[in-house]
Amino acid sequence: MILRNVLVLGVCLGFAILESVFPFVLHLTAARADLLLVVVLYLALNDEVIPGASLSLAAGYLSDLTSATPSCLYALLAVLTFAVVRIGANAIKTDGGIQSMGVGFVASLVHSTLAACLFYFVAPGSEGLVLKFPPLLWSALATAVAAPFVFFVLRRLDKGFVPADAAIRVR
Amino acid sequence: MRSLLRRYREPIFVALLLALPFTVFAVKAKRNLALNAADRVVISVTAPVEKLIVAAVHVGQDAWYGYLALGMVREENLRLRKDLVRERAQFGAFAETKAENDRLRRLLEYTDKQGPLRSLVAPVIAVGASPHSHVLRIARGSEEGVHRGMPVVAPDGVVGTVALTTAHYADVQLIVSPTYAVPALNERTRARATVKGTGDQARCKLEYGQRTEEWHDGDLLRTAGTIGFFPQGLPIGRLVNVSKKPTGMFVSAEVLPAVDFARLDEVIVVLGPQDAPSSNAYVNASSVGTAQ
Repeated sequence: MILRNVLVLGVCLGFAILESVFPFVLHLTAARADLLLVVVLYLALNDEVIPGASLSLAAGYLSDLTSATPSCLYALLAVLTFAVVRIGANAIKTDGGIQSMGVGFVASLVHSTLAACLFYFVAPGSEGLVLKFPPLLWSALATAVAAPFVFFVLRRLDKGFVPADAAIRVR
Repeated sequence: MRSLLRRYREPIFVALLLALPFTVFAVKAKRNLALNAADRVVISVTAPVEKLIVAAVHVGQDAWYGYLALGMVREENLRLRKDLVRERAQFGAFAETKAENDRLRRLLEYTDKQGPLRSLVAPVIAVGASPHSHVLRIARGSEEGVHRGMPVVAPDGVVGTVALTTAHYADVQLIVSPTYAVPALNERTRARATVKGTGDQARCKLEYGQRTEEWHDGDLLRTAGTIGFFPQGLPIGRLVNVSKKPTGMFVSAEVLPAVDFARLDEVIVVLGPQDAPSSNAYVNASSVGTAQ
C-alpha cells in the first residue's frame, strides 16, 4: 500500500510537470486542464479516507508550488474537494469515460470559483472578485477532456496492486 | 473517549488536514512569497524535466522547420531580408533621433538618472501548473544573479517581476495577476495612472486615471519609470473600452497587454543599473510595491 501511494505521488509529480509544460508548448492560455484536480477526484471516489485525503493534500501542494499564490491555497482546496466529493461519492459512481468527464467539468468550475473567492477574501491587494466565466469554462472543458485519461492511468496503477486475497478469488 | 476518537478518526483526520493548510494560508497570505527547503527540492526535481521536455519539443520543431518544411524557407528568407532592410532603415532613423536627443539632453544639462541597465536573457521553460496561475518559469536563478522583485521584460513590453527563485530557476509573476500593479504613463498625453492585473490572461485594468485627463481607446501605456519599478518607457499595453462615468474621480478602462504571454520563448531579466556594484540595493527597492 505504501508503494502504491508513493507511485500515486510520482504520478502527481508527472501530471504537475505535464500541466506546466503542455500549455507552454501548445501556447494555451485559457484551455488548460487541471490534471491534479482530476487526481483528487479519483482519490475521493476510490481511496480510503485517510490515505486519499493525505494524497490530495500532496497534490494540492504541488499545484501551490508553481502558482505564486499565497501558500496552501490549492492544498486547502484539494482537501476540501476530496471531502465534498467523498461525501457525495455514493451518488457519483464512475469508472472513467463520460461520467468522469462530467464530474471533472463540474468539479473544475466549482474549484475555480472557490479559488477566486478565497483569493479575493485573503490575498493582499485584491480589489475585486475576479470571476471571468469564459476562461473558467475553457479550463473546465479541458479538465473534462483530460479526466478519462487521468482515471485510466490511475486505474491501471491500481490494477497492479490488487490485494492478494482478491487476486486468489479472481483466479 | 478513545472509542469516540476511534469511531470518528476519519472525519477528525480530514478536519485536521483542512485546518493545516487553512492556517498556513491565512497566516502567509499577507506576507511575501518564499520557498522552504521542501519546495526547493520539488522544484529542483521537476524543473529539469520540464526543461528537457521543452528542449525535446524545440528540437522536434527545429527538425520540422529545418528539413521537412525546407520549401518554405526560401520564401521566409526573402521576407526576412525585406524586413531586415526595413528594420535597418528604421534603426537608422532611431539612431539619428537618439543622437539628437542626446545632444539636446546635454544642452539642457539633463542627467539620465536611470542609466544603462544590466540584463540577462532567460529561456522560458514552463508556465504555472494550475490553470489559474499567472506564472512563467525561467531557467535562470539566484546563481545567475536573479533575485525576487527584479523586473522581467520582453521585446514587446513588460512581462512581470520575479516572484520566487531557486539556484537555477525562477518563477515570474505576470502583470495580469490580480495582485499586480505597475505605474503607467499615457504615451500621447503623458497622463499618469496604474495598470492592475485582473486575473484574465488577456486583459488588465486601468486604475487612478484622472477624469480630467484625456484617455482614448488605442492609447499606448508605457511604464512610468518610478524608482523600484520597471525602467521608464517600456510598453505595457493599449487602452480599450474607455468609459467616463457621470460620477467619480477616475475613468474606467481596460488594458490589452503588449506582450502575448502564451508565446514567450525568452524573456529579459533586468538585473539593475550597469554601474551598481551589486544588484541587491536595486532588488530591495524593486521588491517594494510591484507584486503586492
